[in-house]
Amino acid sequence: MRRNLFLYLTLACFFGLIVIFIVDGYMGVYDTVYVTSGERPEKIEADFWLRQGRAAPAGMENSYYISSADRDEKVFFRYEVANRRFSGYTADIEVAVWHNQEKVHDVISQPISIEAFDEGQAEWVIDATELLPEALPPEQSYEYTVIIKRGEIERKIIMRINQRAYPPESPIRPVPVPVPPPPR
Amino acid sequence: MKLEYVLFGFGILFSLAGVGYLAVEYVKYLSEVWKLVALLLTVGMFACLSKYFEDIGW
Repeated sequence: MRRNLFLYLTLACFFGLIVIFIVDGYMGVYDTVYVTSGERPEKIEADFWLRQGRAAPAGMENSYYISSADRDEKVFFRYEVANRRFSGYTADIEVAVWHNQEKVHDVISQPISIEAFDEGQAEWVIDATELLPEALPPEQSYEYTVIIKRGEIERKIIMRINQRAYPPESPIRPVPVPVPPPPR
Repeated sequence: MKLEYVLFGFGILFSLAGVGYLAVEYVKYLSEVWKLVALLLTVGMFACLSKYFEDIGW
C-alpha cells in the first residue's frame, strides 16, 4: 500500500493541476475587444485586462492605449463576450466616449444574454470627425477614452486622433492661443 | 526493455505534454493564489513521482 501511496499522490497532484487550469483558467466570462482603425486591426485579449489590473501603476488599471487614428477615419469596434460557464450570462453593455473626465457621447446601450458555453458580441462605429471640437486646429492631436461597461466590469480604451500632417490651405486661420505674461 | 516500461514512459510523456499545453494556454488567466497552488502541486507531483520510482528500486 505504501509503495503505491506516492503514485496515488502523484496522480492526485496531476489531476489537481488539471482541475485548476480548467476551473480557474478556462471557465468564466471573458471579453475580447477588436479595434480596427484605417487598415490596422487590433485585438485586445481577455488576459490583457488581468495583466493591467495587477501590474499597472495606480490609476492606470484597465487602461489601454491603442494605435492612433486619422482625423477623417472611422474606428470600428467589436466586443465579444465568451461565457464559459454552465449557466447563462446576462449583462447590460454601455459604451460611451469621454474626454477630460466628462462624457462626450453615448455610443450604445444594450443588454446582452449569452447561453452556457456560447459567445455574444456587440459592434459599434465611432467617427473621429464627429468627436473633434470645431475649434481644434488641424495640426493638434486629440485624445478621448472609450469606456465599455459590462455590468460591474469596465474597460477603458484611450484613442488618439492624429494631427493632420499637412494642413490643407484654408483662408480660415487657426486662432492663436494668447500667451499669458510671465509672472513678476 | 519491457513493454510496460515503454507504455509508462509514453503515458508520463503525454501527461506532461497535456499539462504543459493547459499551462501555456490558460495560466495567464489564473489568479495569483491559484498560480501558487498550481506551482506547489507541480513540485509535489514531481517529488511524489521521484519518491515512487525510488521505492520501486529505479
